[in-house]
Amino acid sequence: MGRDIALSIRRDDAIAKISGEAKYTCDVKFENMLYGKTLRSKIARGKIKSIKYPSLPEGYYIVDKDDVPKPNKLKILKSDMSVFAQDVVNYVGEPIALVVGEDKEIIDNILSKIEVEYENIQPILTLEEGLNTKEPIYGDNNLFADYVVEKGDINEVKNRASYVYEGEYETGYQEQFYLETQGIIADFKDGKITIYGSMQCPYYIKNALLDFFKADSDKIRVVQLTTGGGFGGKEDYPSLIAAQAAAASIKCKRPVKIVYDRDEDIEFTTKRHPSKIKLKSYLDDNFKVIGMEADIILDGGAYASLSEVVLQRAMFAISGVYNIENLYVKGRAVATNKAISGAFRGFGAPQAFFAIEIHMEHIAKKFNLNPLDFKINNLIKRGDKSSTGGTFRDEIKLKEMIKRAEIMSSYNEKKSRFKEERKEGKLKGIGMSLFFHGGGFTGSGERDHIKAKVKLLKKIDETVEILISNVEMGQGAMTTSRKIVAYTLNIPIEKVIFENPDTDRVPDSGPTVASRTTVVVGELLREAAEELKNRWNENETLIVEADYKYPEGYEWDGDKFKGDAYTSYSFGVNVVEVEVDSITYESTIKNVYAVYDIGQAIDERIVKGQIDGGIVQGLGYAGIEVMENKEGRFLQRTSSDYIIPTSKDVPYIYSELLCEPFKYGPYGAKALGELTFVGSPPAYALSVEDALGLEISNIPVRPENILEVLRHGK
Amino acid sequence: MVKSYKPKRLEEALQIIKNEDCILFAGGTDLMVNRKIYFDDKNSDKKVLFLSSIEELKDISSDSNYIEIGSMTTLCSVEKNNLIPEALREAAKSMASPSIRNIATIGGNICNASPAGDTLPYLYAAQATLVLESIEGSREVYIGDFIKGPRKKDIKKHEILTKIKIPLKEYDIWEFRKVGTRKSTALSKLSFTGLAKKKDGILEDIRLSFGAVGPTVVRCRDYENKIIEIGKDIKIPEIIDMYSSIITPIDDQRSTAYYRKEVALSLLSNFLLKL
Repeated sequence: MGRDIALSIRRDDAIAKISGEAKYTCDVKFENMLYGKTLRSKIARGKIKSIKYPSLPEGYYIVDKDDVPKPNKLKILKSDMSVFAQDVVNYVGEPIALVVGEDKEIIDNILSKIEVEYENIQPILTLEEGLNTKEPIYGDNNLFADYVVEKGDINEVKNRASYVYEGEYETGYQEQFYLETQGIIADFKDGKITIYGSMQCPYYIKNALLDFFKADSDKIRVVQLTTGGGFGGKEDYPSLIAAQAAAASIKCKRPVKIVYDRDEDIEFTTKRHPSKIKLKSYLDDNFKVIGMEADIILDGGAYASLSEVVLQRAMFAISGVYNIENLYVKGRAVATNKAISGAFRGFGAPQAFFAIEIHMEHIAKKFNLNPLDFKINNLIKRGDKSSTGGTFRDEIKLKEMIKRAEIMSSYNEKKSRFKEERKEGKLKGIGMSLFFHGGGFTGSGERDHIKAKVKLLKKIDETVEILISNVEMGQGAMTTSRKIVAYTLNIPIEKVIFENPDTDRVPDSGPTVASRTTVVVGELLREAAEELKNRWNENETLIVEADYKYPEGYEWDGDKFKGDAYTSYSFGVNVVEVEVDSITYESTIKNVYAVYDIGQAIDERIVKGQIDGGIVQGLGYAGIEVMENKEGRFLQRTSSDYIIPTSKDVPYIYSELLCEPFKYGPYGAKALGELTFVGSPPAYALSVEDALGLEISNIPVRPENILEVLRHGK
Repeated sequence: MVKSYKPKRLEEALQIIKNEDCILFAGGTDLMVNRKIYFDDKNSDKKVLFLSSIEELKDISSDSNYIEIGSMTTLCSVEKNNLIPEALREAAKSMASPSIRNIATIGGNICNASPAGDTLPYLYAAQATLVLESIEGSREVYIGDFIKGPRKKDIKKHEILTKIKIPLKEYDIWEFRKVGTRKSTALSKLSFTGLAKKKDGILEDIRLSFGAVGPTVVRCRDYENKIIEIGKDIKIPEIIDMYSSIITPIDDQRSTAYYRKEVALSLLSNFLLKL
């Protein structure tokens, strides 16, 4: 292993994936395996009055609520969701039963003959309906979470502010659209359930199933198979499919596989929370933002899932990269009769950063300030307090990064040149966003809930196996983990082994989420490798462990939301340049520039992959990914109608790193995966705004909406 | 298992479909999407006749009157062949992705009869006719008469679309514009095709057609004749008003009726400005 860890090596999984040799869940077949397909609710909200099943051919089964232990509730954070609908349904597509058997055509035939009789209840389809309902879906007030974060004294600020500005911002749905759809195989044998499948969090599935089946720990085993992308979509949802497949395998006494069709996956699995955010800023004479009130409403869909923590991240990010000393932030996650909103790269932060970045730009325009100067004038620096009163302990390089981005993109020159070109009818625009991402779990999640543990197993042949529950899902975790261990031990990378996790073999190092795999788990691997290095000459098979320790000096009070919501922050500056067609209002993205502080690159090519992928996914979110719900059903529910960017939709992305290392990250590394998503949506919206001279406050920015605004002024 | 045929000669194919009801499989790029079932290869009991081995359906030729394009010509070949009018080549190029264009065919795009079929507006505008052959003989029909509505077309079970005949005519001003959901592999929200011929400053001919703004392609020969007749004196707003009455799009998952109509009319106006 060379001495510069950032230098790229060939990824472990590259050849198998490119050649097609890699076996995904869909490719794996067990002897005697049956297939399961889901019977889903056709209505958005109602009671199930009766279900009439046809008589089944031999070898075919129905698995429903009567086949699972009571109370038939799956524990994600809360236990509000049934594995199979109990007597009510709360969204179009809610699973009611599985039809299981050998032949998919016969399964389809059985499905088409099942008659479900519903008693309709008026569904809640909008945030307004959800906030004002007399018939809540969840609890008494129909809110999955209802929080307030306060900092300083907002009332005092109201009295002395010289200027006030208020705005409202909205973001839409987004579907993860991982290349491999959801898939799970369950095999119940000799009293033990084994789950194989596409997943981000083997131990989440194990724990959910232990709770659901009230099983002993050694009776549930979860094995990850090659996973084709997750983006958060395989954080919580696979637990539901696994519980269903397990119930089916127990009933049928054979392995049962469930793999979703693309359309099924688009329409019914979890998505990014739509948001509506109101911001009201108070400014002093010098245009320093001295206070801000925020009201954040997220559309949580039918069940609680992870909404409360998504909401927390959105609330803690709402003041952006700005030092606003007085804050009052209200946050609510509302239940609606639509598909569940779950985890998605960024986890609440993209909604918040979209709102604050647009808000700051609009304040500057309102008071005739140069937006970038205004933003820089309000920037956080080392020693300032975060939204929750924690301290930014490390050097913040944002000013330098902005400078770099300006030079790379010729930002100022283009800003004035495009103004001239627009006079000649060329609708060109440029926009810049400034943002951060807090690494790892919000608050004390790492310390109090996850308690990650890693193991390294040194074998007689001097190979070292990494035993962790984090997964390779395309992001490169297999390669970066091996690099950290090989680099620390100073042994060839080939000597370090990483197999897909199997909960019977690996400790719980936590889920593969929250950009934590490198920064948190990677650091534990480095510590374990340091210990192993000291004991390298013990001539036998050796296991060393490392357990998560909360870094000294940081504090968090989860009841009051006070203290360090994150122990490390990664930063970014994005610049997007567009040209809008003056007839059709279609936007063409001309150039993208990006500068990031991620502490330290563990592998430059993998970092570049995350940067390009994150930016493109963010541009899709802001530009072309539209998902509308009419009367409880999504209109865009196939891959021809739910559109994600192709290589023709994005230009080459120029990116650079400008890093401030993190003391508690492996070799200084900080969070990367989600950060790369957060900045491109506001930068894109601002560039379109610049091109058209309009105020844009909602994404996705559709040509349809632009036309409406230009013709009707709304 | 599905029973299938893969004849090498047109006559063989016509013989087979004379007696048996078959799905005619051209490139399959629409057919496969429409017929997929949830995660496997089982399809249907209906027999399938693959047209891809019939070389005589892939010819592109021209004489002094027509360009003839074999129905099994791929979109990629349409895009790259110099004999084919530029506006049609442009339309082919705007479709799907390179890999799909390598296998999708012009005949398939016609017979799919989708309101958003991107080769159709040009073929309407150019007054293309289709040659339909059966074992009993052949007939020719104008594309606008062939397509009866979304997915509906005038073809009999024992017929195969063999050729597309485009009258040979030079248009010195032309435009094809597709407004899709993204820059590649996109279905049309709407499209516009304009062809015009001017001689010594006088408009000799004009053809205007619109895709995805109605159940079938919108084209009106009467309006075109009116524009030619009135010539120089006609005012663009009057033409826009005329077309406004026949462009009747809908709201759907890809776009809004308002956007489709407004942009279609703006593209028309923009084209007229160039004349």
